[in-house]
Amino acid sequence: MSKLQTLPHQNMSRRDMLRLAGVGAAGAALAACAAPAAAPDSGGGDAPAMEPVTVIATTSMPVNTFDNSLERSVEQLPEIALEVNANGWGEGGWDGYSDTLLTRIAGGEQIDVIMIAIEGLRLLTAKNVLVALDDFLAGDQPANEILQNDVHVTLREMLQVDGKQYEYPFSWNNMVMYYNTAIFEEEGLDPPANDWTWDDFLETCLKVANVTGGADDRFAYSFWGAGMFGMAAWYFNNDVSPLSDDWLDSNLLDPKVAETVQFMADLILEHKVAPNPEGWDEWAQFHAGNLVMRTCGRWCIGGSLEADFTTYDMQYQPHRAGPLRTVAGTDGWGVSTSSENPQEAWEIVKLLSSTEASIDMVQLGGNIPALRSVSELPVFAEFGPPNTALFYETLDFAATVPSPTNFNIVEPILNRNYATIWNGERTVEEALQTAHDEVQVEMDKLKQA
Amino acid sequence: MTSTALPDDKTGGLTKRLTGMTLARREAWAGYLFATPALMGLLAFTALPIFASLILIFLHYDLLTPPKWAGAENITRLATDSRMFKIYWNSLRLVVGATFLNNVLGLLLAVGLNRTMPWGIRYVLRTSIFFPVMTTTASLAVVWRFLLTLDRGVVNFLIGQIGLDPVPWLSSSTWALVSAMIYDVWKSCGYLMVIYLAGLQAIPAVYYEAARIDGAGFWQQFRNVTLPLISPTAFFAIVISLIGAFQIFDNVWVLTEGGPGDASRVIAMYIYEKAFRGFEMGYASAVSFTLFIILIALTLLQFLGARRWVHYE
Repeated sequence: MSKLQTLPHQNMSRRDMLRLAGVGAAGAALAACAAPAAAPDSGGGDAPAMEPVTVIATTSMPVNTFDNSLERSVEQLPEIALEVNANGWGEGGWDGYSDTLLTRIAGGEQIDVIMIAIEGLRLLTAKNVLVALDDFLAGDQPANEILQNDVHVTLREMLQVDGKQYEYPFSWNNMVMYYNTAIFEEEGLDPPANDWTWDDFLETCLKVANVTGGADDRFAYSFWGAGMFGMAAWYFNNDVSPLSDDWLDSNLLDPKVAETVQFMADLILEHKVAPNPEGWDEWAQFHAGNLVMRTCGRWCIGGSLEADFTTYDMQYQPHRAGPLRTVAGTDGWGVSTSSENPQEAWEIVKLLSSTEASIDMVQLGGNIPALRSVSELPVFAEFGPPNTALFYETLDFAATVPSPTNFNIVEPILNRNYATIWNGERTVEEALQTAHDEVQVEMDKLKQA
Repeated sequence: MTSTALPDDKTGGLTKRLTGMTLARREAWAGYLFATPALMGLLAFTALPIFASLILIFLHYDLLTPPKWAGAENITRLATDSRMFKIYWNSLRLVVGATFLNNVLGLLLAVGLNRTMPWGIRYVLRTSIFFPVMTTTASLAVVWRFLLTLDRGVVNFLIGQIGLDPVPWLSSSTWALVSAMIYDVWKSCGYLMVIYLAGLQAIPAVYYEAARIDGAGFWQQFRNVTLPLISPTAFFAIVISLIGAFQIFDNVWVLTEGGPGDASRVIAMYIYEKAFRGFEMGYASAVSFTLFIILIALTLLQFLGARRWVHYE
């Protein structure tokens, strides 16, 4: 709970606020009619203090990421009473986050400033939940200059729909391979090269895995087994995507999709170097040394900082075919169409996207900041393993995570079907065929809408 | 209640009747008044939502944009929804299994605890068995998820110690629903145990004494005294556990998320998925109504069947 929540103005409803504003406006009009007004006293000694406008922002990140921003808002924006609350992840991932957010909005909850990533952006704009920021940007040169000059074009464009900027980029992620450096040393292995292949990766897995079904089992690698972002990290390195390039059709029957999924399934079922992701706690096992490698974004640094785990580093995902590509997704802050104070909400968007807020996030081991200037600060390298520079380097060959308007429907379909591959109940071909049939129906609906 | 006619009233009988009617009417009004808050609640939170969802069946509505007329589309779609039928099959298995096991185990535990034993042991046992009922379902399900994980799960570790292969409790289509059932029985049977215990303690001891004098052993006493006299309690327990089993949502949600695939998805989860993931309020309402009809049918069957096996003293 933020400190601001104890302030008296927080008890005033929006209706009360409007009523007061109306009374104030009527009073002002009467005063204006009564006599010509003298120039207002800039000291304002007798003038009643204005009640701050409450602006509520909702985020996917731990709320404490913005504790310092709340303090800054008191100093920098005294006319605004800022609250930041967390929006639940639902069943997990941005699909669940989007669903929770839309349900809250439909329930009439006041949300002025919305954090959303590209995965949920199209759904929100389709439901007319977000205001295009272009007018704000046109009237705010400093903010526009930062957006144009300090934010990579890829990140900027990810948060646009039909050429309109709906979110101001705050952070982004790609997926890299985290590995336990102590175990690599213990096994006499060199750190993976940045051009390592799937074959190199499998060879490494077979060397470091020690799985006998006992209490001291050590798995070489684990992956989410679900989620568009996690799977795209593998698909993109085999030059394929589960959806067509325009995100309007299923591409699940592409042989390269099957090849990718088969490679991952084999890690569990044939080589037995990876656990079934169901119920597996990847974070705890990695920090306990029971897992040697995992694929994750920068946010995983946060868990390692909390666990005081330092013997790890990172490398690009191993590569199979096509040009080197890394999956990337960006989130940002936007203004809700339901906000009664859009101008104040815009001020909060800027505050929560600022350099200071980005540094706070970096220090907590969160995402990669969208502001390049922050990634070039010493603090970015300080709060991360030796190869941290890798994160920003990948942007030039980053490919956007497939994020159709019906992402919240497509992702759960894929997840359901992947699960039956990892447990060996269905062949890759069977599961992908079922997933394709389900996804294509939804894509056809999307095209007709 | 009686009323007294006035001494000078020549039509005392009529006045008496009128006064009596007035009192009855007053009593009726008082009754309505007392019932009004509950009826208002029922109207606002049960009847109106049911009515609203009945209307929603004929609409396409996503909560955020204006509803559109759908005609019978949502109803005809039910017939072709193979996922829904599969999920209903899961729900049916879970409801039957959980209701049966909860009641049998609850009754057995109650019978076991309704015996002479040191009071300390009795209270420790009762509290231990009832404890899961008092704890949050979702948090316990998280613990069970850790216990049942295939790799590095505690249960499989113990199974491995006796030389058996690990069981894919959560990741296999065969075991996921069984795991949800085991969890529900562990969580809920303590509640039914308390209900059965109350029922057992309400049986007068003289019946058992008479049975013993007639030479009845434990099983005969249980069969001919306990079971008939506890049948009203059992009827109540079965009805509430059946309804509770249809409401199972959070434990499966946390334990398996309905997976793998749809192997452990239950109908409440499916309705939630359609309503708050796909934002298809019309179709979610249509599925809800199928559940509504099934529940009414099952309740009617239970009440009709109860006439044959429930014995009131």
